[in-house]
Amino acid sequence: MNEKKERMIFDVTYQPQVRTVRDTQRIMLDVIIATLPIVGFGVYRYGWHALLLVVSSMAAAVFFEWAYRRLLKKSITIDDLSAAVTGLLLVMVLPPQTPVWMAVIGDFFAIVIVKQLYGGIGKNFLNPALAGRAFLTASYSGVLTVVVIDGVTSATPLGYLYGDAPMPFTLAQSFFGAIPGSIGEISSFAILAGAAYLIARKVIRWRIPASVIGTVFVLSFLGGHAGYSRFEWALQNVCAGGVMFTGIFMATDYSTSPVTINGQIIYGIGIGALTMLIRYFGGYAEGCSYAILIMNLTTWALDKLCHRRQFGVSRKDFYLSKKAKKNKEAVS
Amino acid sequence: MDRKKQFTEGLITNNPVLVQQIGMCATMAITTTLFNGVGMGLSVLIILTCCNVVISAIRHIIPGEIRLAIFVVVIAGFVTIVDLLLQAFVPALSEALGVFIPLIVVNCIIIGRAEAFCQKMPVKDSFFDGIFQGLGYTCVLIVMCVVREFLGSGRFGGGLIDISNGFRFTLDGTGAGIQIFPESYGASILSLPFGGFLTLGFLIAAMQYALKKAEDKKAKKAEKEKEAEK
Amino acid sequence: MNKILKLALVLLAVSAIVAGVLGVINELTYPVIDAQKQAKTAEAFASVLKADRFDEIEFDNPDFPTVLTVHKAEGVGYVVTSKFSGAQGNITLAVGVDNDYKCTGISVIEHSETSGLGANAASTGEVGVNFRKQFVGQDESIALSNAGGSIDALTGATITSRAITEAVATSIQAVKTLG
Repeated sequence: MNEKKERMIFDVTYQPQVRTVRDTQRIMLDVIIATLPIVGFGVYRYGWHALLLVVSSMAAAVFFEWAYRRLLKKSITIDDLSAAVTGLLLVMVLPPQTPVWMAVIGDFFAIVIVKQLYGGIGKNFLNPALAGRAFLTASYSGVLTVVVIDGVTSATPLGYLYGDAPMPFTLAQSFFGAIPGSIGEISSFAILAGAAYLIARKVIRWRIPASVIGTVFVLSFLGGHAGYSRFEWALQNVCAGGVMFTGIFMATDYSTSPVTINGQIIYGIGIGALTMLIRYFGGYAEGCSYAILIMNLTTWALDKLCHRRQFGVSRKDFYLSKKAKKNKEAVS
Repeated sequence: MDRKKQFTEGLITNNPVLVQQIGMCATMAITTTLFNGVGMGLSVLIILTCCNVVISAIRHIIPGEIRLAIFVVVIAGFVTIVDLLLQAFVPALSEALGVFIPLIVVNCIIIGRAEAFCQKMPVKDSFFDGIFQGLGYTCVLIVMCVVREFLGSGRFGGGLIDISNGFRFTLDGTGAGIQIFPESYGASILSLPFGGFLTLGFLIAAMQYALKKAEDKKAKKAEKEKEAEK
Repeated sequence: MNKILKLALVLLAVSAIVAGVLGVINELTYPVIDAQKQAKTAEAFASVLKADRFDEIEFDNPDFPTVLTVHKAEGVGYVVTSKFSGAQGNITLAVGVDNDYKCTGISVIEHSETSGLGANAASTGEVGVNFRKQFVGQDESIALSNAGGSIDALTGATITSRAITEAVATSIQAVKTLG
């Protein structure tokens, strides 16, 4: 096969659009580059097991994608790197002691069931990596709800924040990553570095991450907690858990987040609000991955709701045509 | 009626769960151990057969206007009998299945077969219909149980088989089953309702795929024969 | 009119026959079912408190709506049964309390928790036995370890564990009111 490679055109935002030469492969490569500081920090904190997890999970995800497409005689799509990114993001939200086989099962669920069964890249309605994490957490809750570092089980910062014991970590420790937690979630500093790269490369826009993190900050500031100053509490809520990582890398997944501007903001606020709801009142210490999965399900509705006026159409015409459409629907 | 055709209909081509897609609530809820699956399947089989026979026997007496009410009374009667008998003599099963035994009253398989089959067919056909449809249901339950139990907790035959003292069947639901791989490796989400949806979805997909393949084959064969005739 | 009367009569007849059959079956199975329930309760009592006989005493305190019955074992202690909501449905629990107001053991009589998670609280397997063993010797300040106590929750079943822990505390308090 010596055909010229077809360039796909991306509608990752609403009109007006500018076509560029970027393709999925380049976007996914950018995501991988952006996670390098985070992976690097994870390996520095947790040693070679973290690196082994990352590499084997990426390999397994690519393998499952290849095997599925091969078995069902579909075009092989592994060179767009999206499967590798899914495998990478999955281990980033798993605790460091996760056995490799467990990550591989999560990859299977994420790639085959969540992504490929619904038609492959761009057609899944849930974020594959987060769905894989939810699957694993529900299945192996005993192993995955704690963090084990060098054989010592430690409570996560969020466990301290919402438990009765006092929080032993200062704000600076939470921010730079001297806390126990998932490989990808510990260092807010590294995450922000990755985010800066992604935004500079225009792979993601600032709206979703900003509204997610902003909502968490505002709600926890308003909610407060005994024994903490409001400011400290709100910052700990942003830095100590998974909000930073999932808000920047997971919530911005193209196929499962809205493309309309208002839709993106409502989506982000919804994630932040649900996260805080689960943290304050839920049975789990950390809720942002579930919050994103829930808001993934509303993406289509948000896009429909926030349908924007076409360029050049007056406000009056827009509402008239909307009304006419509604009447037509009512008649039929 | 052709018994063989009735048999394949009940088990495959018109399987209550996989093709008619009725009675799925209990299918997803209780298929966590083989003991539950076999118990539930057999309970439904017995109730279905009894109801089919009785309804078919009185089909000329009951007026059309109130047939559904009478079906429900008959079904509820048999379900309650089975429920009481289970509570008295197989308490472990009654405990494991809980509310799902009384819920057989509203299981669409039974009222569906009564409405679609027994009210028009003689007693003998209805009897076999009950047995075969019940078997079809039981088979699906067993497949679901085996898959969910194996992937969820690495076991086979939980509650029904005990191998601690040589192989034996435990009818009181106390057997630990055969541990194929350590339980901690099993994806326990498959024992939760989510696993029921997932497994049932895959089973239905596999069934539709197989049925479609068989149909295509048949169509091809017919075409070839037609060509040969020409 | 005649038609409606006929329909009603047919329905009545069918219902009457079914009801009659059910009555007979109930008559036959009731003693067996009852004996089983009693045997189960007796077994649960024996497993939570070592005593020869249990006498039911009157307990009607509106402050303890979850408490079903209190049985007194002379000189040894009390067994309190209570019914409260777990994660999925109601849990009926027997709690043994000795004269120093310490828990001597718990036993789940009835429950409908998720199998593999919350249902482990009642299982005869190692997980269940170890979980229930933790309650022995606890007083009314009992709490889960994530709330500062010493009871380790069942994996993936925090709600069930919390409900049972609270019920044990309630039972001990109920016995305290007896003086």
